Amino acid sequence: MAAPAISRPRSSKTDSYVDNKRKEDIRHANIVAARAVADAVRTSLGPKGMDKMISAANGEVIITNDGATILNKMEVLQPAAKMLVELSKAQDAAAGDGTTTVVVIAGALLKQCLSLLSSGIHPTVISDSLHKASIKAIDVLTAMAVPVELSDGESLIKSASTSLNSKVVSQYSTLLAPLAVDAVLSVVDPAKPDLVDLRDVRIVKKLGGTVDDTEMVKGLVFDKKVSHAAGGPTRVENAKIAVIQFQISPPKTDIEQSIVVSDYTQMDRILKEERNYILGMIKKIKASGCNVLLIQKSILRDAVTDLSLHYLAKAKILVLKDVERDEIEFITKTLNCLPIANIEHFRDEKLGYANLVEEVPLGDGKIVKITGIKNMGRTSTVLVRGSNQLVIDEAERSLHDALCVVRCLVNKRFLIAGGGAPEIELSRQLGAWAKVLHGMEGYCVKSFAEALEVIPYTLAENAGLNPIAIVTELRNRHAQGEINAGINVRKGQITNILEENVVQPLLVSTSAITLATECVRMILKIDDIVTVR
Amino acid sequence: MAVERILKDEASEEKGERARMASFVGAMAIADLVKTTLGPKGMDKILQSTGRGREVTVTNDGATILKSLHIDNAAAKVLVDISKVQDDEVGDGTTSVVVLAGELLREAEKLVAAKIHPMTIIAGYRMAAECARNALLQKVVDNKENEEKFKLDLMKIAMTTLSSKILSQDKEHFAKLAVDAVLRLKGSTNLESIQIIKKPGSSLKDSFLDEGFILDKKIGIGQPKRIENAKILVANTAMDTDKVKIYGARVRVDSMSRVADIEAAEKQKMREKVDKIIAHGINCFVNRQLIYNFPEELFANAGILAIEHADFDGIERLALVTGGEIASTFDNPESVKLGHCKLIEEIMIGEDKLIHFSGVAMGQACTIVLRGASHHVLDEAERSLHDALCVLSQTVNDSRVLLGGGWPEMVMARDVDELARVTPGKKSHAIEAFSRALVAIPTIIADNAGLDSAELVAQLRAEHQKEGCAAGIDVITGSVGDMAELGISEAFKVKQAILLSATEAAEMILRVDEIITCAPRRREDRM
Repeated sequence: MAAPAISRPRSSKTDSYVDNKRKEDIRHANIVAARAVADAVRTSLGPKGMDKMISAANGEVIITNDGATILNKMEVLQPAAKMLVELSKAQDAAAGDGTTTVVVIAGALLKQCLSLLSSGIHPTVISDSLHKASIKAIDVLTAMAVPVELSDGESLIKSASTSLNSKVVSQYSTLLAPLAVDAVLSVVDPAKPDLVDLRDVRIVKKLGGTVDDTEMVKGLVFDKKVSHAAGGPTRVENAKIAVIQFQISPPKTDIEQSIVVSDYTQMDRILKEERNYILGMIKKIKASGCNVLLIQKSILRDAVTDLSLHYLAKAKILVLKDVERDEIEFITKTLNCLPIANIEHFRDEKLGYANLVEEVPLGDGKIVKITGIKNMGRTSTVLVRGSNQLVIDEAERSLHDALCVVRCLVNKRFLIAGGGAPEIELSRQLGAWAKVLHGMEGYCVKSFAEALEVIPYTLAENAGLNPIAIVTELRNRHAQGEINAGINVRKGQITNILEENVVQPLLVSTSAITLATECVRMILKIDDIVTVR
Repeated sequence: MAVERILKDEASEEKGERARMASFVGAMAIADLVKTTLGPKGMDKILQSTGRGREVTVTNDGATILKSLHIDNAAAKVLVDISKVQDDEVGDGTTSVVVLAGELLREAEKLVAAKIHPMTIIAGYRMAAECARNALLQKVVDNKENEEKFKLDLMKIAMTTLSSKILSQDKEHFAKLAVDAVLRLKGSTNLESIQIIKKPGSSLKDSFLDEGFILDKKIGIGQPKRIENAKILVANTAMDTDKVKIYGARVRVDSMSRVADIEAAEKQKMREKVDKIIAHGINCFVNRQLIYNFPEELFANAGILAIEHADFDGIERLALVTGGEIASTFDNPESVKLGHCKLIEEIMIGEDKLIHFSGVAMGQACTIVLRGASHHVLDEAERSLHDALCVLSQTVNDSRVLLGGGWPEMVMARDVDELARVTPGKKSHAIEAFSRALVAIPTIIADNAGLDSAELVAQLRAEHQKEGCAAGIDVITGSVGDMAELGISEAFKVKQAILLSATEAAEMILRVDEIITCAPRRREDRM
């Protein structure tokens, strides 16, 4: 098959001036496609934003307000639209929150670019000007920001609740916000404050109850039952906990083996030996004083057998089996103990200590809680509850966003007003700056400034307010020097948004601006789509 | 007139004029396709894969675009090949070489239409290419003696290369990254010790150069997370069990305790193996294969940092940079070369924890961590940076430098024009055509920037009549500017490669007068 590139009529050097039609078409198509994606998530922006219901190909239903999740599930095909999806993922990785905002800004920028292109400005000029404008925008935002201390819990809670307010779980923000702050602060290592790994915060989801019942547990929670095989204990005080990676079951060699039995007395002997073997192991465990066992899942052979569970129960040892290997690190870090991979190494110093290990009935199932851990590591666990799976999943996503917000603040300790205030201020200052620039640049920067108004405009629109009235009044207030005036969605008017406690981390805003600009510039620079192998 | 069929049924044959037309058209179509990516204001292309996943690549790199195309035209394939060779040889100029070859063919087409024999054209092109090369040789600047100046040259070259790519906005930052990385290599062109890690998130200007090595793996549980003065053993060995690798090997026993004994023996073997490894006096052990729980605990007990499942690339590079060898037997501790580094610690980039080896034995090693908005940006950034690194490492060896921005083409065009004037015979037409093809490059650069190319190129030509002029196209202001002042430089080696391979490719295509397409091999129906 002849490649399309070859069959296309070629242009000679002289008519290269007019042969730009195809390029224009492709750029146009890209921008339209990308904007369609942005429009799809636009209505979910802000505290009064709406949710989307996504029904996946396998029949699964997701209800969410989180831009990154919506876009991720949308399965777009158009290459430029795909880039917007990537953009929201990048924002998710960089800041964790503002995934809708970044896409909406990119959409607005593209809209402005379209009109700039149609007035005959070269795409690279637009691209360069956008870059300059975004650098200037970061300066403006940084100048607006208020420093915050980690000891200032209230500010942290405020910004976490701003993030939560736009989600399904907004009515629980008074509960979830402090929880998110506590959870993150308890994993911050004072020696290395930049190194906040959100994997140290474990979120355990359990159906039943309401979101109100969500709690942070100082210790460990397992969404598992204690093995009940032979009536072993389900509650142990002053627990000595061992995390084991070996199996309490009949021996198995790595090399293939078979036991040859020639008569039935031998069978009896083998059974007896098996019992003795297991009993020997359990005695060693018991000798160390251990009374709680966490057993790693094994794929090669049974981690525990009925027989060993029976003996363990008799020895009054609480057993929790099927712990995943990748959870071991988290568990050992929390319990401040070491995993034990061989019965010979079962020593006292490798055990962890806790005041209480108990099985708690919860909803329709049971969970195991370990509390009062001695020398607990820098981890935390959040137990999320909800009346149905959809709510729990959305609560988890919202909580993740809130955790990210707090982490952003730990990394970059600056706060900025929310409610559209920074965007309007940016728009105003960049608009003023555009007037002193020369040539095309000034024109493009002005468009950039106008594009930023999309955020307050959409916020107002989603809240059912008159967007034009609100945005113009906002502009007016900012021109009079009230740089923190923003849209108060609850009251439906413009107030000083800092006083309303609507704040967000600086990092979320700055990364939204830089990432959106970077993505738009990339789309602008594309002039052809080539089909390849 | 009935002619006996010579070729097979489905084979086809195109002759003379038709064959030449087919190859001209194919080659020019390819050149036109990548033409718009040339120069600092060149555009990007989306490459959409028709394969699974419909993956999307956004790129400005000529070689990347061309090598992923479906091509059915023989001449077009020649151009794709020269672009690949250019990529392998010098790393940059992959678009320029194709465009120049395309322009040479375009000119040749006109000459052939004017009834000039292809061989005459080829002879003319050869003379012109030789003359052009000499013109460049006369103008090269070599600053190898002066280290300060040389470094400045490198910076300029890096910036020029990067200015046509996605990294253009932060080109100073990246040029510095690339120059630092290449200078660490101390003249070797082995780019393997420069590791590029891509992590989405943050923006391009947060990318950084890190001396040392970064491994995207996790440290075993309960092991030290930070080691100073590390002695590293890099290994590729099974850390589960040493199995007898004969199919069907099995043990027959008659009681459970015997099985337990064998298991214990296996454990003992593993323990011995670990002991042997520990006996090397190491405090860090990196294995390509999995390390099971049991040996992991043994290592933890001995206070050794063990990293499992490092990928193939990872360990080879690690062995290279730490100066160690990859070991797979551990019986002779004295014969195994251990790797060394000053510090191993966990660092966090974006959302991921990585292991950082700093102060490694081989000072050349370094890692460039790229950050960016999306995978598309990162992939393209990597390609661009790779181009810059290639060019720089070549320049370190061959330090001759030229100006950029269409300057070399104009210099060559002027000398070739001179030659055309003094050459008698039909050849002079071909030589003249060669000069026109050279001028096409600055023309395209100007066109891509949306400038009035005819006006600019004419001005440029006039400027170049003066001796020692440094005029080129300044796309930023859209006028003719002094390239020396603007700091736009290119490596001589790249320009030379472009000139010579483009001429050769054009010559090869010109020589064709018959295309024979073989009959496709018939697929036998497997019944």
